[in-house]
Amino acid sequence: MLLNKESSGSRWRIRPDGQDKVSGKLQYLTDMAAEGMLTGRVLRAQQAHARILSICTEAALAVPGVHAVITHEDVPGLNGFGIALPHQPVFCYDRVRYTGDAIAAVAAENDAIAEYALSLIQVEYEPLPLLEDAEEAMKPEAILLHEEGNVLHHTEYRRGDPDEAFGACAHVVEETYFTPRQMHTYMETEGGLFIPESNGRLTVYSATQHGLMDRRQLSRILALPEEDIRVVSSPIGGSFGGKDELNVQPYGALLALRTRRPVRLHNSRYESVRAGLKRHPMKITMKTGCDSEGQIVAHRVRIISDTGAYATLGAEVLNFATEHVIGPYRIPHVEVEGFAVYTNNGVSGEFRGFGGNQAIFALEGQVDRLAQQLGLDPWELRRRNLRQYGDPGPLGQPIAQTHGAVQVWEALKASPLLRAAEDGGCEGEGSDSQPEGQLPPWIVTGTGAALAMHGAGLGYGIPDPAGGRLSLALDGKIEAVFGYEEFGQGLIATMEQMLVEQFGFAGDDLRIIIGDTDVVPDSGSSTASRSTSMMWMALQRLRPEFTAQLLETAAATTGEPAGELKLGCGGVWKGCSLLISYAQLARGLKEPLVCETKFQYPTTPLQRVGAHFLYTYSAIAVRVELNLLTGRVRITDQYHAVAAGPVANPQGYLGQIEGGSSMAVGFTLSEDAVMTGGAYVTKNMDTYLVPTLIDMNGRIQVEAIEDLPEHDTYGPRGIGEIGSVHLAPAVAAAIFQAVRKRVNKLPVEPELLQETFFTTQKAVGSYAG
Amino acid sequence: MPDNFRLEEMGEMAGADIPAGPLYTLNCTVNGRALSLEVPPGRRLLSILREDLELTGTKRSCEIGRCGACMVLVDGRPVNACLTMAYQCGGAEITTIEGLGEAGLHPVQRAFLEEGGFQCGYCTPGMVISVVGLLRENPSPAQEDIEEALSGNICRCTGYGGIMRAVNKAIESGVSP
Amino acid sequence: MGALQDEPLFSPALRQPRSLREAWELKSACAEQAVYVSGGTLLRTQWEAGTAAVPQVLIDLRNIAGMEDVTRDDDYLTIGSLVTLTACRRSGALASAGPAAAEAARQIAAPAVRNLATLGGNIASGYGDILPALLVHDAELAVYDGNLLRVQPVEAWLERRWSGAIPPAELVAGVRLPLDQGSGGSRLAVFRKVGRREAFTASLVTIAVTADWDAAARTLRRVRLAAGGGSGRPQRLAAAEALLEGAELSRSLLGAVYEAVEHGFASYDDPFAGEQYKKKTAGNLIVSELWQTLELKARS
Repeated sequence: MLLNKESSGSRWRIRPDGQDKVSGKLQYLTDMAAEGMLTGRVLRAQQAHARILSICTEAALAVPGVHAVITHEDVPGLNGFGIALPHQPVFCYDRVRYTGDAIAAVAAENDAIAEYALSLIQVEYEPLPLLEDAEEAMKPEAILLHEEGNVLHHTEYRRGDPDEAFGACAHVVEETYFTPRQMHTYMETEGGLFIPESNGRLTVYSATQHGLMDRRQLSRILALPEEDIRVVSSPIGGSFGGKDELNVQPYGALLALRTRRPVRLHNSRYESVRAGLKRHPMKITMKTGCDSEGQIVAHRVRIISDTGAYATLGAEVLNFATEHVIGPYRIPHVEVEGFAVYTNNGVSGEFRGFGGNQAIFALEGQVDRLAQQLGLDPWELRRRNLRQYGDPGPLGQPIAQTHGAVQVWEALKASPLLRAAEDGGCEGEGSDSQPEGQLPPWIVTGTGAALAMHGAGLGYGIPDPAGGRLSLALDGKIEAVFGYEEFGQGLIATMEQMLVEQFGFAGDDLRIIIGDTDVVPDSGSSTASRSTSMMWMALQRLRPEFTAQLLETAAATTGEPAGELKLGCGGVWKGCSLLISYAQLARGLKEPLVCETKFQYPTTPLQRVGAHFLYTYSAIAVRVELNLLTGRVRITDQYHAVAAGPVANPQGYLGQIEGGSSMAVGFTLSEDAVMTGGAYVTKNMDTYLVPTLIDMNGRIQVEAIEDLPEHDTYGPRGIGEIGSVHLAPAVAAAIFQAVRKRVNKLPVEPELLQETFFTTQKAVGSYAG
Repeated sequence: MPDNFRLEEMGEMAGADIPAGPLYTLNCTVNGRALSLEVPPGRRLLSILREDLELTGTKRSCEIGRCGACMVLVDGRPVNACLTMAYQCGGAEITTIEGLGEAGLHPVQRAFLEEGGFQCGYCTPGMVISVVGLLRENPSPAQEDIEEALSGNICRCTGYGGIMRAVNKAIESGVSP
Repeated sequence: MGALQDEPLFSPALRQPRSLREAWELKSACAEQAVYVSGGTLLRTQWEAGTAAVPQVLIDLRNIAGMEDVTRDDDYLTIGSLVTLTACRRSGALASAGPAAAEAARQIAAPAVRNLATLGGNIASGYGDILPALLVHDAELAVYDGNLLRVQPVEAWLERRWSGAIPPAELVAGVRLPLDQGSGGSRLAVFRKVGRREAFTASLVTIAVTADWDAAARTLRRVRLAAGGGSGRPQRLAAAEALLEGAELSRSLLGAVYEAVEHGFASYDDPFAGEQYKKKTAGNLIVSELWQTLELKARS
């Protein structure tokens, strides 16, 4: 089914958070203010790698209007943070490792005073050699960024005997792929409000994708019991993985506790660029061989991931990439080795796709190159190697079995874009593009395709709790309480839609509470395309009991037999009439009716950390127009076939695929946070270029394949990432079809594709035909 | 403070005898209400709206006019509030997102709501303002007019599909300025 | 820088002169501590980025009479420096007298920025995208030097600008474009810009072309070619112009023109594109326009 508003009918719902968003009334956490509030600011390192010789804050503290200047000496607990490895200093004291490193923080009456105070803090540095290249950092003579070595994480995976297998291959391709340091560029930069409460507790209003994790990390830093910290984490103006790790929270919390005044921090874009996470730039070298029939036999991969100055989730991202460089293909002989390496290049971390984007660009590139050698249609080569129902996962692990890979392959095969390409480049039915004949000779077109399976959940061996609570509150509202965050993905809307569709409630009956650690159960993080699945599974578990409780209470109150009652809009119904409203029902209660569930995200039994169990499958075809005068590429058409189980929320699903693809267009064509000497060259959105509406004015069609095997109990799979992971290799394939040039580095460099069009007559003549 | 590499130099400047210029009396209207504010003449309209008037629907994002999150109408035309200084607003009629739909939602806002032309919502006020500004001048813009009018508004979530559908819906519904 | 300019402690003082003379005197008295401001969009970007310090004094030029006017007489279209880029983009008079310049205005920044940004500011930067278009329209700048308004060709002004010969207080008051005297043929006027995305991007390369096309003789006359881009110096491409002037347009000539542009256009490497790319792009864009003239206009 092509997903759109029309095809969705009444399932296309107005988002419950929409009214406040379009009216500008929604208060983001960075919009909040409090009586007596101070402004917090952070002093960041002036060098990318240096020893700190001294820090002097006296002059800053003497500025009228400055209420606190704090450094490492003022951290009562652990001077470190990091979701996986808490070794990033809250405040540096002996050494700085990137230009976003924090040295001191100031709370002042206003921003200008805080800024002036920052300028008076004197830090003496002794420069240390810069590590700007991951492979240089791996050399034995390289200076160590951390005592345990410059390799944060090393992965290995091996099956079969690739050495021998390559010898028997009819075709072998070797290539090295490079991917950019993409920036999340959430529109709302990091920030929040930090309030020391009169009872000694601390309230943190600041974005994160896992409030309880922030609370745990802050508790360690502040030496404050977790129960004394309340983290309110929604709504969020975009995150894409970038706000999952702590950012301003330690500074706001420390300053608020020190001054006993509310403190607000809100990063400028410059500071956000400088201090914030980016996608791991990877260098992926692949050697892939097949037999004369196009059966892929051997595959060897080496991944070098520039993880920057600190760990955060660098190891986990590498694990993910290690799994996804193998992908949805049956390959008997595989050897993968990966290294996540510390450098002074900012900090790389979690970002939508989580290492899959890089891996899939390389893997799909290999398949296309093999097809070229074989003289075979690349889509046909994929078919010959595609995983089938019953096959193990990429790491040989048991996974939830679906027909997803074949389904998306077939759907794309039947798509207008691929059919048109097969018919020799003629336009598909319904296309409104300009006929090729009217294009000037320097505009050439091509169509390309790619396929991906993308893991969801955190994977084996990583705590991945899920759960939630439903209750009939005393005011008559049906309350759904989950520990998730809303950063735009439509989680609240999806939750509402599930409650409406599965239970029969009306939207008005509901109160959905998320993102407040004081009240929510541990539902795990809002990451890794997991929340929709987890909400669905939680509701599956809660539904029988919660329904029964409501009906039995209604039966007891009204004297009607519970068996003849059902839940509906506004209350409990008997037949076609409303028997008792939820509010009336609640009036008879002394305490809320509560149902709670706790479980774990389903994982594979294979004991390999990070290996996944649930996957989403997608195939994409794109059509590009390439301008040979400038080497610039425009994507005129996209067709996404996505197999992710039932569509929980059509508007959200479509929005995630369209939005994910936009992010992928940036990754492919324009985005790279360029660094030299450990400092960003692209300091703001004037030089870091994300797609505009005009870059995205091509057509995007999304086909949702909803069928799951009958025995499947996992319901809708996540679609938050799948739209963003495979566009790049499809564009590369389309470019190849257009100009027979292979792209191995992103973003695509116009220099590579530009031709000197007019030096000889021949060039014009040949294109002009 | 975007760049601490330059902090020391700025510190010296700031600590020296920079004259704090006299305040500027800004007379203007915001969302139809006449205001008179004493502000530094170079104070950004963005700060005036968000900090002084607590109209936080106008968003802070890039602060150099490259994202459109702080778009407001000045005398009916979209401008970036982060680029506009107080003295440049003298006598102006300023409309923020809060001033669009004081009696319910503006038709453009309704179109965004119904078509799902937003996700995180942070770019939405600026986007809506730009669309209102466009339709005020040209109630039936062509695709290329829409593209030009919205080229200064970055949305990182939607991929613009929902936004285009919302704009087209607003045009179809015949928004009157 | 950051919010320094936001609060009284660091806020610049505002001066609003009512005449060019008064502005010039203020600037002369304050020297580097003051800047002329019209829209202020470029300045704001520099202040926030820390590439320019926030000045102590802003000299607002908007109260000077005549600076926002667009006037036309028998020979010239004159546009005041304070005319916004939006007004330039929409000006029928400019579209007629300087179509390449009107197109350049359409491609600078985005509409909301153009509502603030002015023609004068774009010129005064020394590298604004409007400049190559002004070069091919034989535009002249009215420059105030404290005593007189002098008129000088854009090219001569650029030479002074890029050699550091312009006194700090000198002001660009306006631009005038000669009205086309007509040549019997059709007038070609083109501006093209290439950046790193499809819109709202700093330019990597801009090119502008004007010429009279004599379809019967397949000949171009009064040929003006210019290129610029990024923060590079906008320039006329004299060697390529000379090849084209009066010569019969042919495919082989286009090859020679391409090479002359590629060779003659002085650009620079930046973190996003090499000089060679920019040279090729300028050559390709200019020659593609000529090719279209040859192929399409010749047919029609």
